Amino acid sequence: MTHRGYRRLGDAAVPGVILIAFVAGWEAVVALGWVRPIQVPPPSRIVASALELALDGFPAGTLLGEHVGITFLRILTGYALALALAMPLGLLIGSNRTLDAATAPIVTFCRSVATLSLLPLAVVWFGVGEASKVFLIGYGCFWVMLSNTIAAIKLVDPVLISAARTMDTPPAHIFFKVALPAALPRMVAGARVALGVGFMVIVGAEMIGTTRGLGALIMEARTFYRSDITVVGMFVIGAIGLALSWGLTCAEAWLLPWERRQQERDP
Amino acid sequence: MRPRARLSERLAGMLSVIVMLTIWELASRFGWQDPQILPAPSEALLAAARLLGPWDLAQHVGISLFRILAGFGLAAVVGVSLGIVLGWSPLAARCLRPFVEVLRPIPPLAWLPLAIIWFGLGEPSKVFVIFLGAFFPIFTSAWRGMTMVSPTLIRAAQTMDVDGARLLWQVAIPATLPDIAAGLRVGFGLAFGILVAAELIAAKSGMGYLIMEARQLGQLGIAIFGIFLIGVVNLVADHQLARAVRATVGRWSNV
Repeated sequence: MTHRGYRRLGDAAVPGVILIAFVAGWEAVVALGWVRPIQVPPPSRIVASALELALDGFPAGTLLGEHVGITFLRILTGYALALALAMPLGLLIGSNRTLDAATAPIVTFCRSVATLSLLPLAVVWFGVGEASKVFLIGYGCFWVMLSNTIAAIKLVDPVLISAARTMDTPPAHIFFKVALPAALPRMVAGARVALGVGFMVIVGAEMIGTTRGLGALIMEARTFYRSDITVVGMFVIGAIGLALSWGLTCAEAWLLPWERRQQERDP
Repeated sequence: MRPRARLSERLAGMLSVIVMLTIWELASRFGWQDPQILPAPSEALLAAARLLGPWDLAQHVGISLFRILAGFGLAAVVGVSLGIVLGWSPLAARCLRPFVEVLRPIPPLAWLPLAIIWFGLGEPSKVFVIFLGAFFPIFTSAWRGMTMVSPTLIRAAQTMDVDGARLLWQVAIPATLPDIAAGLRVGFGLAFGILVAAELIAAKSGMGYLIMEARQLGQLGIAIFGIFLIGVVNLVADHQLARAVRATVGRWSNV
C-alpha cells in the first residue's frame, strides 16, 4: 500500500475507532448503573428495540416500515405540492417589480408565521387526518421556497440579461435560457432549506393527534416509558433526512453540473 | 444590503395588505365563508381584547421570549466556540465529526420526549430543544467559515510572524465573522419555529400554549390572534437580532 493509502486508511479508522469506543463506553455506563436505562437507553437495548419495532410494531402493532412509509408520504406530498406552487409563482413575482413590491409584505409576514402555530386552524379546516399534516408541511415549505425563488430571480446578474438583449434574444428565450438557469442555483439552495423546514414541521405535526408516523412514534413511546423506542425513531427520521438530502444533492448535480465543484468543499 | 424600498413600492405593499385584510373581513361578514372556520380579523381582535387581559398577554409573550433567548443565547455561545475549535484543530474535527454527522440530521423537535425525560416538564426541556434547533446552523456555519478562511490570509499573517493564538484571534476568527453572522440569523429563525412547537406540545404558558388552549376551548378568534402575534413577535425579534448582528459580528458583511 502506498503512503497515501495508509493515510487514507487512518483518516477512516480514527472516526470509526472513536465511534466504537463511544458506543462501548455508553453501554458500560448504563451497565454499571451510573445512569438509568430509561434516561439513556443502552445501544444493545436500542438495537433490540429496533428489531422489535421492525417485526412486531409499536404502538399496537404498527410496524416500523409503516411509520416510515406514512411519514415519508406526508413529507413528499406536502413538499412536492409546495414546490410545484411556489416555483412558478416565485418566478412570476420575482420578474415583475410591481408585483414584487405589492406582495413583499405578505410574503415576509407569512414566512414569519411559525408553521406549527397553524396546527389548530389546520385541524378545524382539514380535520385530524392526512390533509392537515400535508397542509402544514406544504405551508412551511411553500413560503420558504417562494421567497427563495423570488430572491433567486431578482438577484440574477442584470449584465446577463442586458447582454442577451443586445443580441436581440426574444423575451421568452431570455427568461428560459438566461434568467432561469442563472437563478437555478439559488432555487436549489432554497429547495434544500424548504426540505429542512418540512422535516421540522412533520415531527411536530405528528406529535399531536395521530398514532401513526415517526413523530407519533417518538412521542407515544415516551408515554409508555419506552425511551429506547424514542431513540430508534430519532435515528430513523435522521436517516430519512439524510437520504432525502442526498437525493437532493443528486438532483442538484444533474440540474447544475457546473456547480458541483463548490459542493465538494463543504465540510 | 438591499437599498431602501422606494416610496411607491412601499405604498403598493401597504395597499395589497389592506386589500387582503378587507377581502378577508368582508368574506366573513357577508357569509361567503363560514366565520366558524375562519373568523374575520376584527372578530379575532375583539375576541382577544375581551378574553385576554394585557397582563396575561404580556406574560405569555414574556415567557416565550425568555425561552428563546435562553436557548438561542446558549446555542450562540456553544455553537460558535465549538465551530471555531473544530475549524481550527484538524484533530478535534476528526474526533468530533462522526458525532456531528450522526446527530445533525435528527430534527430538534424529535429530542423533545428525551428532553422531558432528562429535564422534566419545566423550562429546561424547552430551552434544550430550542438550543438544539439553533445550535446546528450556528455551529455548522462557524465551522465551515473557519475552514474556508482564505489560505492566503493565513500565510500572509504567518510571514509576518503572527502565529498560534494571535493568528486565531486576529486573522481566522475575524475572517469567519460574516459566516457566523449568517448562521446566527438562520439559527434564530429555526429556534423560533421550534419554540412554538415545543409550547404547543408541552407547556403551560407561552404564545404556543395560548393557541393550543384556544383550540381546546374552541376560540378560533384567539387562535388567529395568537398566530398573528407570533408572526409579529418573530418579525420584530428577527429585526432586532439583525441590527444587533450587524452592529457586532457582521460589521463588514451583508446580513
